[in-house]
Amino acid sequence: MLELKNVHKSFGDNEILKGVDLSVNKGDIIVILGPSGSGKTTLLRSINFLERADEGTIDFGDIHTSLVKAGKKDVYRIRKKTGFVFQNYNLFANKTALENITEGLIYAHNYSKDEAREKALKALRLVGLEDRADYYPSQLSGGQQQRVGIARAIAPEPEVVLFDEPTSALDPELVGEVLNVMKDLAKSGITMIVVTHEMSFAESVANEVIFMDGGVVVEKGTPKEIFSRPKDPRTELFLRRIIRKDYDYVI
Amino acid sequence: MELNTKFMKETFFIVMKAIPVTLEITIFTMIISMVLGFALSLKKIGRKKNHLVNFYVSFVRGTPIVLQILFFYSLLPTLLNYILNIVLKLNIKIFDINPIFYALAVFVMNTTAVLSEVFRASLLSIGQGQMEAALAVGLTPWQAMRRIIIPQSLTSALPNICNTTVNVLKSTSLAYMMTVQDIMAVAKKQAAFGYNYIEAYLVVLVWYIILCTVIQLIFRVTEIKVAQYKQGKRVKVLKIQGLRRFSYAGIKERAQVVWR
Ligand SMILES: Nc1ncnc2c1ncn2[C@@H]1O[C@H](COP(=O)(O)OP(=O)(O)O)[C@@H](O)[C@H]1O
Ligand SMILES: [Mg+2]
Repeated sequence: MLELKNVHKSFGDNEILKGVDLSVNKGDIIVILGPSGSGKTTLLRSINFLERADEGTIDFGDIHTSLVKAGKKDVYRIRKKTGFVFQNYNLFANKTALENITEGLIYAHNYSKDEAREKALKALRLVGLEDRADYYPSQLSGGQQQRVGIARAIAPEPEVVLFDEPTSALDPELVGEVLNVMKDLAKSGITMIVVTHEMSFAESVANEVIFMDGGVVVEKGTPKEIFSRPKDPRTELFLRRIIRKDYDYVI
Repeated sequence: MELNTKFMKETFFIVMKAIPVTLEITIFTMIISMVLGFALSLKKIGRKKNHLVNFYVSFVRGTPIVLQILFFYSLLPTLLNYILNIVLKLNIKIFDINPIFYALAVFVMNTTAVLSEVFRASLLSIGQGQMEAALAVGLTPWQAMRRIIIPQSLTSALPNICNTTVNVLKSTSLAYMMTVQDIMAVAKKQAAFGYNYIEAYLVVLVWYIILCTVIQLIFRVTEIKVAQYKQGKRVKVLKIQGLRRFSYAGIKERAQVVWR
């Protein structure tokens, strides 16, 4: 359904992505792991053209285009076929929770105001925030804001939803509510690509785990394969660090 | 020394009739400068450096407004006459043009420079994140600007826009140098008949305080209205501050500013 090939991206002299391939089937839950600075965010942002890659192609349904030269029309079509959940939520501060969701539905997807409202309320119900529809972001907790962010991403029923470390800006006690929403979504059949360090999420719902380091995919496989039998020493080292960090939380 | 209170009372109402002129210059200057200043601020947050913009801003910043007024009042009519009548042969009576337009030109030039900075800062304060989120849901950059970025930018710029408006209003008192009949010019004319300068100046002083205070009151109310998306708590604080500003202490503060 979605396939990226040979994605390269540099910032100045710094080559961040060095030829990454990514293949996503309908219903996939793909978790991307990797140390900070390995290019995970840049990869996600290249998919919906928040970042212009220097090389590479994308095949997304009936769209086949270059990541470098894609025209406006393809860019907008791809953006409408994807949802993006940001690390810092990035909610529109001057819009209520409901308006955050209807904005794209009305002005990008051309739904009528009533239809948009219906769809937005449905999305808010899915993330358990129907009663907060008329609250402004500043009146919501971090966890609630991120759940609105998720609702905004899924409301137009995109073909794939991209999550960039959706829980890493949250206080530890708020991580759970967001992860639960994401797990429910995963079970409902939505296609997701999730950058996260939450092992519990990867273990319980992912069907593929990709480990990135230094701008390349080091290895990928089922969660079981990656977590219990990592082939590459870099993967093993990374996993050991993450697990120790989880352990620190408990203390 | 004794104040001629009868004269003051009369002058108060004579000066009042010139308030529309003062307000017209202020309001039109603000409207035109907000549009131009915003356009300029978008240019400024772009990557490319623009030397023309830099030159313009340093010219406005680096020269006294009184000098600008005298300079343009001498230059503009002659220049326009040359361009329109001699080059383009349009036969327009340049020297009949209401001097208000020259005043507007100078004030707009100054205010645009100030507001472009104000808007630049307020645009930067909103950050890239919301723009990206808007693009990610499929909005065009212009839709994102119009629906998300600009409304917030205007809201956060509101206190500065208020200050700028008050400054413009005070600067209009220089328009008398271009023979514009604003409240300052009218007061001076009244004073000249019987040499009642102190009384006349006292009267305009009061008028400026009243006008500035009203402008600030209007902005306060607008601020509270449009800032509703900020936290409930915050709005309440604004309200209390808003009232305080119109307390005795607040007005005294304002009076000192006007006096300076
Ligand atoms: N706009 C940018 N300009 C310059 N460098 C950037 C930019 N965005 C990201 N980088 C750099 O690219 C590297 C990889 O970033 P990122 O994709 O965010 O990694 P990750 O998400 O895996 O932590 C980082 O070292 C970061 O400093
Ligand atoms: Mg990242």
